[in-house]
Amino acid sequence: MKSKLLVLVSLVLLASLVLTACGAPAAGTESGGSKDEKVTIRFFHKWPEPEQLDYYNYVIAEYEKAHPNVKIEMEAASDEAYKDKIRVLMASGDVPDIYFSWAGEFSWKFARAGQALDLTDAMMNSDWKDKIVMAAVEPFKLNGKIYGVPMRINAKFMAYNKEIFAKYNLSVPTTWDEFLAVCETLKANGEVPIAFGNEFPWASAHYVGDFNAKLVDPETLKGDYLLTADANTLFTDPGYVEALRRFKMLGDLGYFNSGANGISHSNARSSFIAGKAAMFYLELEEFATLAQDRGDDWFGYFQLPGGTGGKGDPKLITGAPDGFMVYGKTKHPAEAIDFLKFVTSPEMGYEYVKRLGIPSAAVGAVTEDNSLPSVRGGLAQINAASGMALWMDTDMNIKIVEVYLPGMQALLTGSKTPEEVMKEVHDIAVTVQSELK
Amino acid sequence: MKTYRWKRWITPYLLIIPAVVIMLVFVYIPVVENIYYSLFCWSSIDPTLKYIGLDNYARILNDKIIPIALRNNVLYALISVAFQVFFALILAAILESRVIRPRWGSIFRSAFFLPSVLAVTVVGITWQLIYSPNSGLINQFLRAIGLGNLAHAWLGEESTAIFAVIGVSQWQWVGYCMILFIVAIQAIPEELYEAARIDGASAMQQFFNITIPMIRETILVLTTITVIGGFKVFDIVWVMTAGGPNNASNTLGGYLYRVGFRNDEMGYASALATLLFVITFALTFIQLRIGRTGKES
Repeated sequence: MKSKLLVLVSLVLLASLVLTACGAPAAGTESGGSKDEKVTIRFFHKWPEPEQLDYYNYVIAEYEKAHPNVKIEMEAASDEAYKDKIRVLMASGDVPDIYFSWAGEFSWKFARAGQALDLTDAMMNSDWKDKIVMAAVEPFKLNGKIYGVPMRINAKFMAYNKEIFAKYNLSVPTTWDEFLAVCETLKANGEVPIAFGNEFPWASAHYVGDFNAKLVDPETLKGDYLLTADANTLFTDPGYVEALRRFKMLGDLGYFNSGANGISHSNARSSFIAGKAAMFYLELEEFATLAQDRGDDWFGYFQLPGGTGGKGDPKLITGAPDGFMVYGKTKHPAEAIDFLKFVTSPEMGYEYVKRLGIPSAAVGAVTEDNSLPSVRGGLAQINAASGMALWMDTDMNIKIVEVYLPGMQALLTGSKTPEEVMKEVHDIAVTVQSELK
Repeated sequence: MKTYRWKRWITPYLLIIPAVVIMLVFVYIPVVENIYYSLFCWSSIDPTLKYIGLDNYARILNDKIIPIALRNNVLYALISVAFQVFFALILAAILESRVIRPRWGSIFRSAFFLPSVLAVTVVGITWQLIYSPNSGLINQFLRAIGLGNLAHAWLGEESTAIFAVIGVSQWQWVGYCMILFIVAIQAIPEELYEAARIDGASAMQQFFNITIPMIRETILVLTTITVIGGFKVFDIVWVMTAGGPNNASNTLGGYLYRVGFRNDEMGYASALATLLFVITFALTFIQLRIGRTGKES
């Protein structure tokens, strides 16, 4: 009797195990049927901060109110973690219907692999195109087709502490040499000129990307970043070495705080806010953080000057829109596109700017009554710029990034020279180019 | 009667089947699959398999990051054995000594054990602050006592980063290993020590001639676990430096994760995983052979 029971129990256990092991993970979306059936749209982005989640929860609640048959399931992972998690999801085939992407190469690789839905028709043949800043759609285009919708517009500025600048009679530098002179004065007076946190080396990529755009001819740069140039010339323009040299110089001359490689970007920002450093290179979206406690009067901002002798475009501004893509094999393309339209609508964009202080890519979302003067000023500078130099770490093949960015850390610690780093970048670029062929 | 014997024979097999199935599905089948996948070029975003034979393994030989990662793993294993086996053993013996144990034993035990109950992320982030170049405790202390020239950006310099991370690991796990040793020491019959004392053996002699031989098994098991841990370490490194700066603190585990989930080269990551598997498997095998654990003498 006893042993019979044991046999039975183990069989049940076994069966349950086998069933769980073999049952394929249910795709989040049920197969689409009639209109009345409940449709679940999975939505994955990179803003897990509470204020951001509050905003998206609000948007979802509004949407679900108007569309009772749709349920939006949201998930979020922060910046660095997002880059890994989206890849894991893609590999498992358990891809969310709508997911975040940076513009440029980061989004194109999804498009090339068929993981992103072509939105050209949905956007161009509706009023959607009139509600989105079309210049921000450009970097989401591959071969003339639109694969992504911009959520926000972002660019890099050098912010400075007005009080410290006034103390030493400094004015906003307009050339590279003036910029160095400002740094020198600050340093000579015992101030830390620039707060810099390079624990994750994308922070250095923002400097170098900006220098590259200003020092290298735009056509050459494009050919190198997108690997369309001849293999022998890839990343061999002397402008690249000069860009790294400038970056290294800021470190060697002591214009960055010491130990930058061991400090996170947000720690560096805190030290700037606390007045421990005179300048900080940051994104427009971070203005709201600077203004959180003290308003936005205490800091000013300018574009990093390009300097002389470069063949690049000195009026380019470093920055990029980022936004969302729709999964190429989604079971509910119509619902996903409709929700995306809602998220990026001017009404929601207005709310976005009001709540988070981040410029939305929706037309007319930033107005005087919902934004900081500094944010509007920054946006005006973006509009006045001749174009945008995309974030270099999301604008070139990831394998090159993984050589280029650690190389920048090595420059700061002095273990590599700019020439050595560019030689390695050239080599990996040649390898990657031959693999892609 | 006959059926009864048959049932007796089948029951133990049925009882181990669930464990066998779990191991097969989650360990052994993936290991084999992993070797298979390492022969292809594929990425997480575009999972079409392109057969490239042993190219991924050839690439390991020329990869400049592999020697750095391996060196870091070896350092990790050696330093961990020094602290988590030898130092923890000495600590355990002291806490179990007749002077400390009755009065302070439990207090010190708890104090040393405490770090190991903390989550790795919590520990990593806390130590990031302690190591912070300007506002961190260590550098402020060094400057306060006039040794400011010894201050480093501990996690931000290529020469110090891996040691800073290894140090945190020791801080966290020495107490844990110490507890395991204490448990082993407490299982030694008190009569042995009594007899030794009557024969006039000193505390040192007791330690070397009674304690160590009696807990030999524990020492071997802990050494094995620590060495293997040193080779598969990932979490604390990822939290504290993510392998940086310039890959100086990368380990095999961290590098394989980066290759797979950042560089979109799943095939190469599979090859690295196979390498890691072979290393840890070989180490376990050697250590178990030397120690011949599992056989009570």
